[in-house]
Order: sequence, then structure tokens, then C-alpha cells
Amino acid sequence: MNKFLLIVLISIGLSNIAYAQDFAPGITDQEIDMVKYNKEPQANAVFLDEFGNTRIDEVNDHIRLIFTYHAKIKIFNKEGLTHGTIEIPIHISEDSGEEVGNVTGTTYYKDDNGILQKTELDPKKVFTVKDYKYGSTVKFAMPALRPGCVVEFKYELISPYWYDFRGWTFQDDIPKVNSQYETHIPGFWWFNASIRGSLKLSKSDSELQRECFSSGGAKADCSHMTYQMKDIPAFVEEDYMTARKNFLSAIYFELVEYTNPYTNVKTVVTKEWSDVDRQLKNSDSFGSQLKRTSLLKERITPLIAGKTDELDKAQTVYAWVKKQIKWNDYIGIYSNDGIKKALDTHTGSIADINLTLITALSAAGLNAEAVLLSTRDHGAVNTLYPVLSDFNYVVARLTIGDKTYLLDATDPLLSFGLLPFRCVNDKGRVISLNKPSYWIDLNTQQKAATTHTFDLTLLDNGKLKGTVTNYYKGYDAYEKRKAIRKFNTVDEYVEDFDEKQPKLKVLKSEITNLDSLESPLKEVFNVEIEAFDNTNHEKLSFNPFLWEKRTTNPFKLAERDYPVDWAFASDKRLVLVMHLPAQYVIETPPQVVAFALPNKGGMFVTTFDTQDNNTFTFSNITQFNKSVYDSAEYPYLKELFNKIILAEKGDMIFKKK
Amino acid sequence: MKTLLSTLFIFCAATCVKAQDNYDVSLISKDLMPYASAIVRTEEVTIEVKDLDNTYYHVKKAITVLNKNGDDEADIAIWHDKSKVIKDIKGIVYNQWGKPTGKFSESDFDDDSGHDGFSLFTDLKIKHYQPKIADYPYTISYEYDVKQKQTLDFEDWTPIGSDGVAVEKSSYTFICKPDFKIRYKETNIPSSVVTGTNKQGLKTYTWQISNLKALKYEPYSPIKRTIMPSVKIVPEKFIYRGVDGSFTNWKELGQWQYDKLNAGRQVLSPVTVAKLKELTASETTPKAKARKIYEYMQGKTHYINISVGIGNLQPFPASDVDQQNYGDCKALVNYTQSLLKAVDIDSYYCVVQAGSSKVSLLPDFASIDQGNHVILCLPFKNDTTFLECTSQNMPFGFLGNFTDDRTVLACTPQGGKLLHTPKYTAQANLEQRKASFAINADGELSGLMTTNFKGTNYENRDEVIYESVKEQVKDLKKIYPINNLDIESSDLKQFKTEQPYTTETLKISARDYGSVNGDKIIFVENPANRVTSGLREVRNRRNQTYINRGYTDEDEITYALPAGYKVDVRPANVLIEKPFGKFEVTTTVNGDKLIYKRSLQLIDGTYSKDTYQELVDFYQSVMDADGRNITLTKGN
Repeated sequence: MNKFLLIVLISIGLSNIAYAQDFAPGITDQEIDMVKYNKEPQANAVFLDEFGNTRIDEVNDHIRLIFTYHAKIKIFNKEGLTHGTIEIPIHISEDSGEEVGNVTGTTYYKDDNGILQKTELDPKKVFTVKDYKYGSTVKFAMPALRPGCVVEFKYELISPYWYDFRGWTFQDDIPKVNSQYETHIPGFWWFNASIRGSLKLSKSDSELQRECFSSGGAKADCSHMTYQMKDIPAFVEEDYMTARKNFLSAIYFELVEYTNPYTNVKTVVTKEWSDVDRQLKNSDSFGSQLKRTSLLKERITPLIAGKTDELDKAQTVYAWVKKQIKWNDYIGIYSNDGIKKALDTHTGSIADINLTLITALSAAGLNAEAVLLSTRDHGAVNTLYPVLSDFNYVVARLTIGDKTYLLDATDPLLSFGLLPFRCVNDKGRVISLNKPSYWIDLNTQQKAATTHTFDLTLLDNGKLKGTVTNYYKGYDAYEKRKAIRKFNTVDEYVEDFDEKQPKLKVLKSEITNLDSLESPLKEVFNVEIEAFDNTNHEKLSFNPFLWEKRTTNPFKLAERDYPVDWAFASDKRLVLVMHLPAQYVIETPPQVVAFALPNKGGMFVTTFDTQDNNTFTFSNITQFNKSVYDSAEYPYLKELFNKIILAEKGDMIFKKK
Repeated sequence: MKTLLSTLFIFCAATCVKAQDNYDVSLISKDLMPYASAIVRTEEVTIEVKDLDNTYYHVKKAITVLNKNGDDEADIAIWHDKSKVIKDIKGIVYNQWGKPTGKFSESDFDDDSGHDGFSLFTDLKIKHYQPKIADYPYTISYEYDVKQKQTLDFEDWTPIGSDGVAVEKSSYTFICKPDFKIRYKETNIPSSVVTGTNKQGLKTYTWQISNLKALKYEPYSPIKRTIMPSVKIVPEKFIYRGVDGSFTNWKELGQWQYDKLNAGRQVLSPVTVAKLKELTASETTPKAKARKIYEYMQGKTHYINISVGIGNLQPFPASDVDQQNYGDCKALVNYTQSLLKAVDIDSYYCVVQAGSSKVSLLPDFASIDQGNHVILCLPFKNDTTFLECTSQNMPFGFLGNFTDDRTVLACTPQGGKLLHTPKYTAQANLEQRKASFAINADGELSGLMTTNFKGTNYENRDEVIYESVKEQVKDLKKIYPINNLDIESSDLKQFKTEQPYTTETLKISARDYGSVNGDKIIFVENPANRVTSGLREVRNRRNQTYINRGYTDEDEITYALPAGYKVDVRPANVLIEKPFGKFEVTTTVNGDKLIYKRSLQLIDGTYSKDTYQELVDFYQSVMDADGRNITLTKGN
């Protein structure tokens, strides 16, 4: 288990705490005179203090979340000035939305004469920018910034989405001296709190607040929680990692149950997966859609008429759904407008399309279930207890006999059973209409495989002539098809391929299975390559890695904190058969090597063989069998690349007899 | 009789539709298909000036999307704000046979804030909608009306928007009262304007173009503005957001900017003026004073763009910047100008088209829309100096590749003047590297490497230099293609002298740099500066070959060889000289030292289209040479 992906439930015993509260406004001499942050001297800026507080209360007869935020940031240099521009993303929906108000800000600085000055933020210079249908950003730039200044600002955010209780991210791109978050939750509501990331809370306390909430005649006590972290280091991203959300230290909340203060009706939201299952099955935009098999039966019956093989039926239905509905770039797990509208308008969200797919497969008499998952940029899911908001994507899981397939019909180029890269993330929850939900592993479903085969003859004029045959499977086939589809015609693709390699001329080409997604994609090029200017040389040096030669290691760091996550395993093969002119013999053959990663994690192997005096076969296999390598495996991975580069550097030498 | 009539009517209706808007894909000429992912079936842009503060646009367009790559062409996006109001949008979707399959209207459009990627806030908004159609090919036709309360800035006609789009026909019509005078500029338009008078007695100007093939991307092409068809129209008299004016040339347009938009926005408090006088008191020359003030401004301000109303043309007052310490390019230039004025130094507010591509203002055609940035000019005698005011780090007088070598408009009290910013020549854009390495018997490389960056290369390490040493090392490891590179120490410095330069000194080591194979060590002779991807070929090239900016790279690497080894295989020297560049590599052995020298120069300019293949071959030779190995052997 990776220590960074840990999600820990927070349980706090009741204790008596001092009445925790927001830090006092204003600055100290020490803060204004600070020239660097001693714990991270290279930091451009540091949060001196940060405080947030969220409570549930009634505002104009509506239940609202009231979040107040207060921060004080020291800016050390010019590069830190960007931290004086504040952006607050807010959610909006058709008729309501989050609102930011009571924005105040002060910049403290020492003027040229060394006298402490302060400038207030002009409230007229707080702007709201609408980013898209469901999101805006409130922005303001703190005034009178200069290196050495301290900015302090506050705002209040009122949200109608009380069921989505506000979380708190302790860690940021700059370090923080102190960060504290408090919550006041009336007894009508119950949320689970969980913490992510590797940092520890320096304080977590709770106390009971008497009658802190009243609405109509109903009154409730509140649980008042305080979460605090001190000396939080800046977050530094590494290459080949998944969502930063997985690694940032933060706290999240999930609604478990609530009692409507007006009606006293109690609703259990998420307690057990069985509750979630029931909720989803009865949801108009989920389970009800999956039950609309009759809607699809009439459409797919003619398609599968006469077909008896289940896989054949499934592939037909899958291809049909891909063609019927085009993805409108919205993701989510709910089909808000229903699958009928998506079918009628030929456009829909991820949920619209894949719920249609599941329903259509069911209508065809196949065993299909929904799988909820979280995309790579959305972070890993909490497996301790149900957190529905962790999921942002839904795909189909089809079972035929003892085989299962994960299907996503939102991308026309995906082959049957290939999950898009964005979906290969940790675990998914299978939701079925007739049995309890369960977890499945989303990793290692399919791999990326490519084989390049060359049959080349070295001519007396120094050119290599022959054929190049490429086979692509799995993710490599998907990527290659996508690349070819970037061109209007296959001819334009081949022309581009040819033009990109000035030394290579394509004499003839054939691409097969471009549209037959279930078969490997095959390319055959008859080529002529300008390898040498002529064959009058005493010696010719030749590198057998002529398709792709690596010269630098993708891994530069001595060690890593986070795992290397490639999402899928890969297998690359090269076979080169080469015929030399009669006057040449092989003086130096290529290096024959075999390197492997521990625990069958991967390998790099070359072989060399001569058939007769003038023909040789060289082959190479590069395999990475795991989709994720943890930080302990990193040094081996890095060293394997080093060995690959050394091996690929070696030239063969052909010598005149 | 009744039956017959209605049949006739239906027949007529059907043919009428056909005659007007038949978007059957099979009707598209085969000649337009190559390289096209979308085809503009028809585009009609009509601009009618009703009054000085009242202009109507009517846009009608039909576009056929042939495949997924053309989807973006069906993305309809219309910018608007308080003074530019969208009146009506409606559209129809057709299948490949030209049969209507759906409709859309204004309610389908999203209306979001305009994002330009660099502004904190602008009041521009964008209405956009993209029909999602799964079946190709499909056609969408739409029309909309926009009312604008100004006559200064008319939208250009650019019938070819992007590569990969062919055009069946496109037209541009301008309608105005007979006394409304305009000037226009046609670029690459085969047929000239047709003028006339319409039924209402209004004057009309019409341009038309048809059957334009889709363009394929060609690297090293001349600046787009010079090779694509376009028509620009400007008024003589206009009103813009309540400000009136008139112009027929750059002098008058610059005068308008100076008098109507900039004047009176340079007032500073007496305290600030006194401070500036004190700051510069010890300096004797105006240039030295200006340098002090520029550095003061850089230390005090930072760039934030807020654009509201006429704020897209008019700078915020200097006193605002003095208080807030931020502004956009206009505000910061105006502010710097005021600071300089406080110590009696004159300077000009200059409008420029910024960007790496060197786009000049059209010398013979003045219009408001040709610049996107503002810089400051100090007209010292025989020493004209330009200042970029939005950067906190740029050296005094340095423009870099953002605004170099192009024609700009200086707005002076005597009116507009066209000036040309300084050019950085191929010789001036120098990256000069010297390294002294040792290779040991295990193939490990170690030593010191120093690089100087001059000209526009001065900024090459800007992404790295302001980071912590730890992050610097991470970035430098990505920059240099040396396998197993370890950086023991890095030292980056910038010298803001008259000819600014950056130096980088690295103490490095790299195990397994050479691969040891028995008694041989093989290593790449060019460790630091390899060209690893060449240029693509372009068959049937249309455009001339244009090199936007030249450069010179000089590398000199000395290797101390391990004891007991000698050079076995040493690649031949290379010398290639072309009108557009020069490449030279020499490898010499001197005792136990091997000295590798490489120089690569590319000279900016416009060359024939056939030169392009020579450029491809040139880079291929560079790439081949850069990949070459040295082989050392033990013993005699």
C-alpha cells in the first residue's frame, strides 16, 4: 500500500478545547521584516497563517453553507507576486449558485523610507468571470504589492450546496506556517470526514456547541471541529504521476445522513454501500435509465437479428452506440436529461452514452453492469466508505461466460474492451440492478503493444530497400488510429509520414484494419532509405535501432517521492532481417544483452543471428509489465533505461572482404 | 384544380430550396477536397454603417464538415460586450444529402466571459455553440446580426480562416451613406472591389472570392498576414465609445491616440515627482536617469490586465498605477512615461504587434487593429532606445524576441510616427559554449561547462534562473541531452549591460556517458547541443522560405582522454555553406586531448520556395553530424 494514497478516517474524541478561533488581523514587526522562510529558504512566498470556518445555517429561510476564509501571505520576491492575485472558483447551477461577498484585503509594506504603510483593496476591483455554464471565478489583485510585503485578505462564500460540505486543502504550491480549519455542524446533519496525503494533523479537536442552530421551532447543538496543520511544506509535482489531489494533504467531507429541520424527516444518504446501491437504482438519472430496455429493444433487435454468439451481439451493440451518440464533453455519473434525449439528439454526456450502452446490452439479453470510477485527473476514490462525489465517470462492464470486458462508448476509436487512459485509475465500483455493488480493480486490463519488422537489403548505391511492417495492438493501436485519423485520408497520412523523414522514401504503402478496431492495426511500407552515400567505403557503421533510438533517460531524479504511473503495461518488439551486398562481412555484431527488472517487472533483450554470410537477423524486446512502479522500484527502472541507452548506442560495423 | 395547385406549390417550394441553399455534399467540386477537413459553402459578411455610432453586421455562413478534424470549424463563437450587441442567431443542421435534420437558436448558445489567457478581467463576453453531430459529413448554416455602437474598427474579411479549410464562395459587402468616406486595403485578392449604389441610395463596396483550396501547413512560411487573402476597411470619420475622431494616415491616428486617449493621464503627486528627482539627482546623462527610472518602475510594478470599456485602447491614469503598483501594458507604459517626464525626459507611447513572429504595421495603411501591445520609446539623439514596461526583469533597452525588428507607431504630441525597433542579427543571437571534460576508463564524463547567451538568447534561461537551485538542477537536467547527467553545481547570472548576456556555469558528471565495450569506449562527440529532429519535407510547396530570426551556436568541447587510450574512429570534418546558413564541425586530437568544435548559423531572411528543400537537407546533415560517435581504443 502506498503511503501517499492512504485515505484515513478521522475519529475525534470529545475533549475540552480552548475556544479556537480565527487569527487576529494585522501584522507583527517580525513578519514585515522577514526576508526568507527558514524552513524553506527558497520559497517565493509563504502563508503565515490561514484560517477557514464553515457552518451550516439558515439564510433567508434557506439552508446554506457559510464559509469564511482568512489568509495572510508573506511575499519575498518578484516571483512571489503572483500569490497576490487571488482566484476563488465557484459553482453555479441554473437557478442558484455560490456567492462570494464581504471581500476585504490589506497590503502591508515598508515604503522607501522604511515606514510601515498599508493599502486597502478597493471592493470595486473584485471581479467575477464566468468560465462556463456551471463555473465562475471571483478574482482580485491585491494593491501596492512589492517584494517584502504581506497581504492579508478575507472573504465569505455562501453556498446552497449544503450536502457538499466544504473540504480544506492544507497543502499548496508554497509552504504554510499554519493552516486551520473549523467546522460547525448542527445535529441535523452528519458528515464523514477523511484526510488524504502524507502529512499529519498537528491538532484535531471537537467540542459541543449548545443550541448553535435554530430554524422555526427546531433547535440543535453543533459539533465544532478544529483541524490544524503546522509547518506544511510546499507541494512539488513529479513527472508521470496521477492527480495532485491524490497526494496533497487535505480533508474531505461526505454527507451520511440529515434530518430536515422543517419537517423532521430523516434521510440516510450514504452510510453503507447498500444505501448507495438503493439510491442509485432508484435515481431518475441512473437506475431508472438502466431500466429503459424497452426503449432500446426496438432499436437494437434488427441489428442483432440472427446473431447467436454473445460476443458478436455485444460488439454490434457497442459499435452502434458509438455511432449513435456523440460525446458533448461533459462528464459525470448521472444522465440528467435521460438517455432518450441523448438518443434523439445524437449527443450526450459520458453518463448518457454509457448508460445507453449498458441498457442496450441488457436489452440484447447480455449481462451488463455499470462501473462508477474516478478519472485520473479527478483522483483516487475512497474505499473505506461510500463517497459518491469521488466518482465522476461511468463505464459498462460486460460478462460473457467467464470473461469480463470494460466498455466505454464515448470515443469512436476505442476497440472493444479498451478503457480510455483517463479511466485507468485505481478502483471502480460495479453497480448492478439485481445484486449488491462491489469493487473491481481498473488497472492492468490491456496493454500497449507494437511490433516493427524490417526486411531490408543494402544496395550497392548505399540505399536500403525493402519493407517495414508494423503491428499495433491495445493502447498503441488506439493512439496510432487517432494519429492517422488526424488526416483527412490515409494517403495524406502516408505523405506526412514520408515527408517527416527526409531520408526515407515510401514507394508503396498499405494500411489494414484501420476501421476494424478489434484486429491489430497493420502498416506495410515499401521503402527506400538513404543509409550511406555509397558502398565504396572500407567500413560501414550501422545502428540496428533504426526506427527509434533512445538517447536520454526519461528519469532524471536521483529518487522519487511518488510512484511512476503509466496506467498500462507495454510491449515493444523489433525484428530486423538484413541482406548485405556480397562484398561485405560483419566485423562487429550488435551487443547481445538481457536486462530485467526485479519481480518480472520488465525487460530489455536483444538477440542476433546470421543465416548465411550476408544475411542477419537482429531482434529486440522491451517490456514493462506493470502499470505502476512504486518509489522503491524507481532506481531499477531508471537503471534499466540507462542500460537500454548504452545498448542502443552500439553500432554494427560492416567490413569489405 | 385545388389538388393541382397545391402540388405545384410543393414542387416550387422544393425547387426554391434547392436553388438557394443546396448543401448536398456531392455538389462540392473534387478539386476542393485535397487536405480539406471542412469546406465553407458560402459566407456572406455585410457591414452597414447607419450612423457614426451605429453599425450593423449581418453574417451568413454555411460550412460542411467532412470529418472529425473539421469539427472545430463548426464551433460558432461571437464576441460581444456592452457596445457590441448580438441581435439574433439562428441556424440549421443538414445531413450529407443536404436535408435539414435540426435547428438551433440563440438559446442553445453558452455565454461566458472572454478569456484571453492573460487578463485578470475583461468585459468582453463570448457566445458560443458547437452542434454535436456524430455522422460525417454534415453541414451547418447559420446567420446572425450584431449591432455595434462604433465606426472605428470594422472586422476584416479573411475568407480563409485556417489550414485545412477550402472555400466555395465568400463575399464581403460594405454599405454606407454616400458621404461616409472609407479607405480599404486588399491583400492577395484576385478580383478587385465592385462598387455601386443600392435601392436606398446607399453606397456599396463588394468583394468576392470563390474556389479556394485548403492549405496545408508549411514550416518556414512567410508571416500569415502577408500571404493570406484579406480586405481591411477603415473610416475617415468615426465615433468610438463616445470619442470622435478622424484619420487618413498614421500621423493622424497617432495624434488621435495622443490627444483623445492619453492626454491628461500622466499626473503624478508632487511627492512622487520629488522622489524621482532625488532618485536621479546623481545621474548626469538623460540615459542614465532613464535607466534608474526604468529599474525603479520594474521594482515597483507588476503586470495585471483589467480591460473595461474604452480601457482596451486607453491607459489607466499614472496615479492609479502609482497607488496600486500594477497595470497592463498601456498603463505601465503611460506610467513610465510620466515618471520620465517628471525628470524632463521625453518619450513616446508606441503601439506594436507583439509576438515572436515579426509583424510590422502596414506602412501605407493606418488602422486601429494592427497592434496588440504597447512599448515605450526614448528618442535619444542617435541612440533611440525602446523599453518593455511589463517585465520586472528585462534589461534597460532590451526587447527580446517579443517586439524586435518591426515597424511600430509612436504617438507623439506632433502626431503618429512610424519607427522601427532594433534587430538582433544572426551574429548577435549567440549561444556560445565552452567545456573542458575528462572521460575516464569507465566511460564517465566530468568537468566544467560554461555557456554564454547573447541577443534574444539572453532570455533562454529565464524559466530557470528565478527558481531555487534545487529546481534549477531539475530543469537543467531536462534541457541537456546528457544521459545520467549529474549537476554538482550550477551558477546562472544575467548581466544587464548595453548588450545584455546570460552566463551559465555547470560542474557536471555523467556516468556511462561513454559505453565501454571490451577495450573500446564509444561516446557521442557533441554532448550538449544536438539537433535531434530535422525538418519535414514539403512536396509541392506554395510559399517562399522565410526564416524569421537568425542565430549562431558555437560549441567547443575539450575531452581529456583516459590514460592508455587513443582515438580509433574519428568522424570526418564537416563544412556546409549555404546562403541561409553555415555549419562546421572539426574534431582534432592534440596529445591526450580531443577537441570538438561545432558552429551552426542560420541567417534570417526570405528565400525562394526551392530553398526549403536545401534547408531540410542542411538540418539533416546537422542531425547526422550531431549523432556521430568517437571510438577510443586501449593500447597502441
